[in-house]
Amino acid sequence: MRQDVTRACEEGGRVTEPKLVVDAVSCTFDATPVLAEVDLTLEQGEFVSIVGPSGCGKSTLFNIVSGLVRPTSGRVSLDGRDVTGRTGQVGYMLQKDLLVPWRTVIGNIVLGAALTRGATRADRHEAARLATRYGLGEFLDHYPHALSGGMRQRVALMRTLALKADVLLLDEPFGALDSQTRLDMQLWLLSVCEDLNATILFVTHDVDEAIFLSDRVAVMTGRPGSIAADIPIELPRPRGIDTLTTPEFTELKRRALSLLHRPAFERSAP
Amino acid sequence: MRRRGRALPWIERVGLAVAAIALIFGAWNVAIVAFDLQPFVLPTPQSSIKAVAENWSALAPLTWQTVKETAVGFVLGALIGFVLAVVMSLFRPVQRLVYPALITSQAVPIVAIAAPLVILFGFGMLPKLIIVAWIVFFPVVVNVLDGLAHIDPDLIRLAKVMNASRSREFVQIRLPATLSPLFSGLKIGATYAVTGAVIGEWTASSQQGLGTYLLSANSSLDVASVFGVTLLLTVIGVLSFLLVMAVESTATPWDHRATARRRSRPADRLP
Repeated sequence: MRQDVTRACEEGGRVTEPKLVVDAVSCTFDATPVLAEVDLTLEQGEFVSIVGPSGCGKSTLFNIVSGLVRPTSGRVSLDGRDVTGRTGQVGYMLQKDLLVPWRTVIGNIVLGAALTRGATRADRHEAARLATRYGLGEFLDHYPHALSGGMRQRVALMRTLALKADVLLLDEPFGALDSQTRLDMQLWLLSVCEDLNATILFVTHDVDEAIFLSDRVAVMTGRPGSIAADIPIELPRPRGIDTLTTPEFTELKRRALSLLHRPAFERSAP
Repeated sequence: MRRRGRALPWIERVGLAVAAIALIFGAWNVAIVAFDLQPFVLPTPQSSIKAVAENWSALAPLTWQTVKETAVGFVLGALIGFVLAVVMSLFRPVQRLVYPALITSQAVPIVAIAAPLVILFGFGMLPKLIIVAWIVFFPVVVNVLDGLAHIDPDLIRLAKVMNASRSREFVQIRLPATLSPLFSGLKIGATYAVTGAVIGEWTASSQQGLGTYLLSANSSLDVASVFGVTLLLTVIGVLSFLLVMAVESTATPWDHRATARRRSRPADRLP
């Protein structure tokens, strides 16, 4: 459906600007190349996952897109604007929820506002609305320590959404959860995404998760990191638990896994 | 970071405290009988308390004096310690310069510096306050500095991605993170502070406090009063500790409560 929107715009004669462009970005730390040239383009409203083994440079790529790290070469642009090395342009969420223990659920959701201009009543109101809508209504005044891991990650995602950034970077947000909770969270994220037309770059090492959630899966291989393949995921939306057991899903998973593990076989060959 | 055992109901906690005190006083009495100790060697706790109670009208102003020195010195030491820790964390060169001096300051025997302090600052309040503050500031500096150093770097990175201003990041993230360690330091300081005040009074004092009274009771072999006043000083120390704990529990509600107290903001409730 999202691709259709893009296509329609293109057919209208005006080529739409991609939302996020990672253009020939490379990164070297202390003479060790971490990222070889990486190119990645996200259209407005697209959900793209990056899968790859640990240490393949996923997190470095993330830090570059978020502006925390300057790439050695290449550039990052958002709506055509060069944002290389500039923070505050995208939403950002990690495996660690990083909730502030002395702030309540509401207080944590408005953290972005509190850190930049001061949280207003309207911010808190909006936070309460978001939280209530996505299943945190009973916990508005709870401190993070009183919440389960899954709930804490929901709060962390709400905090990211409250930044009102067009592009969200989610770095293994469900990586620390048990598989049951993780599946719940994936379903929940799918429902959140259906409501919002956010552009999401999602990092995971879980191939199932990547395919289940995304419009496209970029398979990354490591040392130095580069994108080995870009697999379009044309599974119909809305997706549910049944999606996970369709032959299409299995076929996509087979492709992704073979791409992920091919380099290892090649390396071990004489 | 959090210590949350199942909280005992307050009545049980008070009961346990009373039982502990009864145990100590019981053992004290048993020791007197068992070793056949004379009252001028070891008076019973009852007679020690009686000695204080009978003399209370004279002791009350002295107690007030010592409590005043303890409290003012404590607040002074806590403030100096806290500010020092924050400045040290903000400016690394200051930290490298000052930290060795801090450790050295604690190696100086407090009893020994009491006399030079009197020579420098006279017989008034000031030398006592300095001694109390001297004792209190150290655990505060060490704990607050630790708290500031152990803030999750990912949290700071998150603040950066959110484009936090340096001042807001400091007020919203770093400062609240110092609270729990600050109170750990204050609890240590609270029990030691009374000792500082007594040592300060021992050296020389124009104003009578419990410390000076202790000296005169000692020289006049009024053993019951010596023990009674010691007990009184202990009570002051314990109460200071409890006071700090009470302040801690209101200042850091997130450590022991699941939810914040509602500050009647109906606007937040609306879906």
